[in-house]
Amino acid sequence: MANRSLPRLLQTPAVVLLLLWMLVPLSMTLYFSFIRYVLNSLSRPEWTKPSLSNWRGLGNYEYVLFKAKDFWFAIENSLFIVGSILVLTVTLGLALAMLVNRSFPGRGIVRVLLISPFFVMPAVNAVLWINMILDPVLGLNGIAVAGLNGIIDGLRDFPVLGSFFSLWPEFEPISFRATQSSAYAVIIMVTWQWTPFAVLIFMTSLQSEDESQKEAAILDGANAWSRFRNLTLPHLGRPIAIVVMIQSIFHLSLYAEIEIVSRGNGNKNLPYLIGEFSTNNIGAASATGILAVILANIVAIFLLRMVGKSLMD
Amino acid sequence: MALSAQTSTFSRIFWPLLAWGIALIFFFPIFWMVFTSFKTDADAVKPEHLFAFKPTLENYLNMTENYDYWRFAANSVITSVFATVFALIVGVPAAYAMAFNPSRHTKDILVWMLSTKMLPAAAVLYPMTFLTKNFLGIFDTHFLVIFVLCLINLPIVIWMLFTYFKEIPKEIIEAGKMDGVSTWGEIKAILIPLAWGGVASTALLTFIFCLNEAYWTVRLTTTEAATLSKLIEGNRAPEGLFFGRLSAVSTAAVGPIIVLGWFCQKQLVQGLTFGAVK
Repeated sequence: MANRSLPRLLQTPAVVLLLLWMLVPLSMTLYFSFIRYVLNSLSRPEWTKPSLSNWRGLGNYEYVLFKAKDFWFAIENSLFIVGSILVLTVTLGLALAMLVNRSFPGRGIVRVLLISPFFVMPAVNAVLWINMILDPVLGLNGIAVAGLNGIIDGLRDFPVLGSFFSLWPEFEPISFRATQSSAYAVIIMVTWQWTPFAVLIFMTSLQSEDESQKEAAILDGANAWSRFRNLTLPHLGRPIAIVVMIQSIFHLSLYAEIEIVSRGNGNKNLPYLIGEFSTNNIGAASATGILAVILANIVAIFLLRMVGKSLMD
Repeated sequence: MALSAQTSTFSRIFWPLLAWGIALIFFFPIFWMVFTSFKTDADAVKPEHLFAFKPTLENYLNMTENYDYWRFAANSVITSVFATVFALIVGVPAAYAMAFNPSRHTKDILVWMLSTKMLPAAAVLYPMTFLTKNFLGIFDTHFLVIFVLCLINLPIVIWMLFTYFKEIPKEIIEAGKMDGVSTWGEIKAILIPLAWGGVASTALLTFIFCLNEAYWTVRLTTTEAATLSKLIEGNRAPEGLFFGRLSAVSTAAVGPIIVLGWFCQKQLVQGLTFGAVK
């Protein structure tokens, strides 16, 4: 009997802590999502305290889904950002993993250089990219475009070709803080940070690939592309799925990057929207939070199934 | 035959060069940050001083004055160390029990633990602020940051340890039991030497995750317990006037973590894919 209860006792602190961590705040969110609850209201001071008498039913959800204009924009923008990042990181990650998965001089250093962006903290990543690289005046973006314009300007003085170049317009650097393009800035910086993650995982998986199968394919005259298509890609199916799911979960809750790039101007996602609601309308923030939990769960179920399956082997 | 020899000469030179090129591009932003940190703020925004400038250490020397760097760094390190230690104290026994005495619920418990990691943090932002500020009075304390960092990393800690412990052959432990070794003796003589490596790499990776955490540490602190993430987010410099000093403080914030990260590439795969990619 002691043999059975000791293991249970050892697990108890972890289980209890995680249970509290999950249940207490989440049930409060659920509760707040059904009541009228604002932080400041001069006309309705009774709403500034959470209370059952302010019951609103599904009213907050109705407000968030149909009346507040930003919810669907946030969903759309989230999906655009996450989708773009996924396509870019998986494609780049596959190509780079294949590239580094052969021995060549300095391979260790190449690996170290490639993996480094992953360890940069998100706030530094965003500050570094948006200021020093993407800024249209002071960043490398602006400096490069100005340099290009300078070269073209110089070419205009040439006798014959000059008249051709004088027809060229001045190049305008893209401003990544602007409403239309701030999502691109986020995509660029997160892709930079997470491609190394994809590379690392694909590389780990490539090392367990069956070499003899590949050699047999070479002997049968299969070219490199068909070897990749028919042997390597199926072998990488599971790692790709895992990279896609883990990244989806992380990137659906991007925050620091969006905050730093444009303070959500023209570029919101659900966590950002929750943050905005939280400055006053707690009911709406909580309803949005519950919707975000549901969205994350849809992705998480698939991931958990897959991870659970590999658990016991 | 000649054809294949030709292709291999081509691929022996071309592909490694491409790999080097891309690796350098990926590393470039980090290099640029370090490079800019040796320029004065004035030089950092002048195109004519892009490469030609007089290197200076003033940005690093003035880091305390400009940003109070060491206070934030100390907060980051203290909270991350304690969070890692507590996560191990809670996680090691749990993972040990699950790996060596699995019950039929073990798998469900593990998957459930992981699912807590997937809850979007923003969904519980207000309740957490409310609870810690109005109710418990621990907002902006080291204790709170440690507690939260410990909890958000606990599932990963348990998963990593579990996958490590599972690889230790059970027969060794059972042989010890046959020889009449006590449970404590068993842990001391057999388990610790075998599990040491796994625990150490779990600790290192957890420490890195704690240092880089950027949602809770920013939103549950103001000044007292503010970490490096908070420092950087608070100095986003939209006007770009302080590129030099901003680069220096950023380098000081991420440099040590990047170096630590180089040592745990392998654990990263295991820790982030929960043992599902080998």
